Amino acid sequence: MQHFALTIIGRDRPGIVSQVTEILYRLGCNIADSSCSILGGQFAMILIIAHPEISDRDGFGNAFVALEDSGLSVYLRTLKPGGEKHPHMDGEICLISVYGSDKAGIVYRVSRELGDRKINITDLNTKLVGTEQRPVYVMMLEAVLPPEMEINEINQIMNNLKTELQVDISVRSITPVEL
Amino acid sequence: MAVRTIRVYPDPILKQPCAAIDQLDASVDALLQDLTDTMLFSGHSVGVAAPQIGDSRRAVVVDVSKSKLGRDNNHGLLTMINPLIIDREGKHTMREGCMSVPDYTGNVERAEIVVVQFTDRDGGERVIRSSGFEAVAIQHEIDHLDGLLFLDRVSSLKTDVFRRKG
Repeated sequence: MQHFALTIIGRDRPGIVSQVTEILYRLGCNIADSSCSILGGQFAMILIIAHPEISDRDGFGNAFVALEDSGLSVYLRTLKPGGEKHPHMDGEICLISVYGSDKAGIVYRVSRELGDRKINITDLNTKLVGTEQRPVYVMMLEAVLPPEMEINEINQIMNNLKTELQVDISVRSITPVEL
Repeated sequence: MAVRTIRVYPDPILKQPCAAIDQLDASVDALLQDLTDTMLFSGHSVGVAAPQIGDSRRAVVVDVSKSKLGRDNNHGLLTMINPLIIDREGKHTMREGCMSVPDYTGNVERAEIVVVQFTDRDGGERVIRSSGFEAVAIQHEIDHLDGLLFLDRVSSLKTDVFRRKG
């Protein structure tokens, strides 16, 4: 089955999810994976959808025009075969908390250290909190370490960054326990 | 005696409360053996509850002694008949997964310490105080006896620390 990534974003208000999913339901689309959240005053939806007969963008016709008319931005991406499948990742999963006085480059510096070492970020949230005079930046991310890497190693790297960026960083294992 | 197939949701037996065991007969002993065999066979498993192998009686096995998280703090192999949590202390969140709910994990908050009363395989009445990973495993398995999956207890959508404050 052909899969698509559908991204929708717009000013938050009650009813966006039902408006979007009614259209998908009436089209006969299956929502395989989705993540939706409020960011600032915007509601953002990211969905992986599939349809047994629709194989390209044109197949959706003007199904999403009503969403655009109501002030939402809609983007549809056609996935290459296999693009809907979650890759199997073997390594340990860790949660990294980074927080400190707001300054430019926190996300970039942390993510560069991870990317350079083939550490795969699977979830990332950031928020600016505190007061306008003393803004505090908070970043939480989840990452999968390469199979041979120990959590101590990433701890050491983050410790060095703490000094460089003058922020607090902690790393802990959140590898799921199977019961 | 036998490694049994792990039942996977939506098998209705997983949402059904289990019946108390009144008498320790050969069938109960066989059930405990099957639970133990099934747990050992799966390699990574630290506990199995009777409904997971298709039996609606109140019996679970737990053994965290071979796992990284539990090897320093455990009671070895626990075969528990009619287990009952009689006291709880503290709170502890772990990301749990379950053989009966493949490909999904979620953060679950559980008691850090539990006091559990149960009948042992040889018929002895036991009360143990368990903490850490073993306590989490015991609570997870006892939930199965009440028709509860960890999905019923997920406490947050991933890292949802930001959502508490508007």
